[in-house]
Amino acid sequence: MTLSRQLENAIPSRSGLYMEFPMARKVAKREERIASVIMTVFAAAYFIGTFFLIPHPTIKQQVGPDAFPKAVGIILILVSVAYMIQQFRGYVKEADEKRAAIIGADEKVETKADLKTMGIMLALMFAYVFLFDFLGYALTTFLVFIIGAIVLDHKHLRRDVIVAFVASFGLYFVFSLLLRVQLPAGPLSLLGL
Amino acid sequence: MDLLQNIALGFSVAGTPFNLLLAFVGVFLGTVIGVLPGIGPMTGVALLIPICFGLPPSSATPGESSSVVTCLDGHEMAKQGRAGPALAAAAIGSFVAGTFATIMLMAFGPFLAQVALKFGPPEFFALMVMGLTVVTSLAGRSMLKAIFSTLLGLAIAMVGIDLQSGVQRFTFGNIQFMDGIEFLVVAIGIFALTEVFINIAELKNPKEVSMEKIKGGLWLTKDDWKRFWPSSIRGTLSGFFVGGVAGAGAAVASFVSYGIEKRFSKHRKELGTGAIEGVAGPESANNAAAGGSLIYLLCLGIPGSGTTAIMLGALMMFGLQPGPLLFTQQPAFVWGLIASMYIGNIMLLVLNLPLVGLWVKLLKVPEYLLTLFILIFSFLGVYTMNNSVQDLFLMVIFGIIGYGMKRADVPAAPIVLGMVLGKQMEEKFRQSMVISDGSFGIFFSRPIAVAFLIIAFMSITNPYWKPAFLAIKKLFTRSKAAV
Repeated sequence: MTLSRQLENAIPSRSGLYMEFPMARKVAKREERIASVIMTVFAAAYFIGTFFLIPHPTIKQQVGPDAFPKAVGIILILVSVAYMIQQFRGYVKEADEKRAAIIGADEKVETKADLKTMGIMLALMFAYVFLFDFLGYALTTFLVFIIGAIVLDHKHLRRDVIVAFVASFGLYFVFSLLLRVQLPAGPLSLLGL
Repeated sequence: MDLLQNIALGFSVAGTPFNLLLAFVGVFLGTVIGVLPGIGPMTGVALLIPICFGLPPSSATPGESSSVVTCLDGHEMAKQGRAGPALAAAAIGSFVAGTFATIMLMAFGPFLAQVALKFGPPEFFALMVMGLTVVTSLAGRSMLKAIFSTLLGLAIAMVGIDLQSGVQRFTFGNIQFMDGIEFLVVAIGIFALTEVFINIAELKNPKEVSMEKIKGGLWLTKDDWKRFWPSSIRGTLSGFFVGGVAGAGAAVASFVSYGIEKRFSKHRKELGTGAIEGVAGPESANNAAAGGSLIYLLCLGIPGSGTTAIMLGALMMFGLQPGPLLFTQQPAFVWGLIASMYIGNIMLLVLNLPLVGLWVKLLKVPEYLLTLFILIFSFLGVYTMNNSVQDLFLMVIFGIIGYGMKRADVPAAPIVLGMVLGKQMEEKFRQSMVISDGSFGIFFSRPIAVAFLIIAFMSITNPYWKPAFLAIKKLFTRSKAAV
């Protein structure tokens, strides 16, 4: 998209950005409401946490270790409550869109989330984390790459296996042997690699 | 001639064969990452930092800084799918602007650093408040959400042992939390892994990527040149002003410059149809702004954008504290960095023009492979920092948070900014309080601090001026009608 078109698209006419997609508008609205509640809960939890998770120091100071976090917590609460009120009252977005056009904000994500694939990939990421030390960098990466490729696209299995092999073992050797960065070897250490 | 000596020093640092090679690698990787779809400049820079860990700081920075410049450029270029002379104009425009910004940095950097050396804690605190609010006011659609994001960054920065009192904050007794949460863990989680999640959603409903074929000669014709210069110079100046004075990022600068071209160019009617002016201006502005915000970063230690915030974090990890003292304590480093940015600019020009074909091919890499590569590089990068699996776990958690934020349209860049500045900001605040013995008056009795705070206040309240003004006006007209 050229800059000019971006600029023209970004400043919506009176009809507003969502008017053409009533469904998208509804979803976005609900998501923002949920987000505003989560933000408020987080802000409150953080503020309460400042009372319990910061012990009193033995030395007396003008400003103790809890003052700054408390201030941050209070403003967090104010901002998120204001945002929540804004969302539940039905906020008109046009001013925001104009602002976005001037400062060149990112485009919004409006594609529907593919929760199933995302869930699988998330599980894969956690598996990556927990197997990282146990199986070593090269093996875990190889497995994650192949499973990921199968989940996301299962048409080019042979190519994917080759890419996965080169990527995982190649990176391992470049980093651990050439750059001397420590990576867990896992069972590979038995082979003396 | 101090200036010439400094430049010579810089080039002698950046010009060693090994560092030149690294700068080349940096430019190359930067362009690759910039061109690849679905990797923004911030993700790119965050992913490239860990690669530099194996290297000494004086060598790592040339690679890093030159890749930053090219990341930005490659990204813009790929986004707009440019053709032939437009590509050349973009590259040369960046070069012109980069040169200008580098010269300005060389000329004014030390002077600004001198001024900043006289700052006390209250001035620094006010300056940081200003840095945060200016960037916050320019991030995302909704100001409230941008503020929330900045505060979230500050909140995360509070985790760990408090240096002034030795007390543990928010550590839950976890040993690894005592050092605080590493900013790269958050940055890579929020930018790179979020990118992965978004790509997954898009793999199922692929977006049409329109690619213009590269036709005809790459080089500019004589007529093109004539049209190129004025807009490039306009773009450079406006970009430098936006980036260096207002501290705003490169995207803003491009838009401002585009607006200027639309107004002043002789060929304004052709804008939007691939006119040279439409490319040269914004592209120059983009680069000049990047250079401008680097002045901020190096002289004051205040990042002007998400990308420079990540760079600041990286420098701090190398044990370098950007700020006024850097110029006097580490001259070789500062001038080396500046010189290598310039070398990066030249390399970009040399590299990009002949390699346009390669970059276009790169766009054909299937998106799912790209997504997986982002994934494994994120893990590699975060692990190599502290050899900690817990960091990996945290990164995934921040990836989820980042995706949630993206869906709710909460801007992510301010978090990184808040994290990077948080600790220092608190430290300066507490030092000021010690000086004034607990009175807030200290921030209002020092003219420089007051000026910073006023700018901070204005930048954060500016969306409300117009409604407030209208409301007041209404109030008056109504009361008049009542009389």
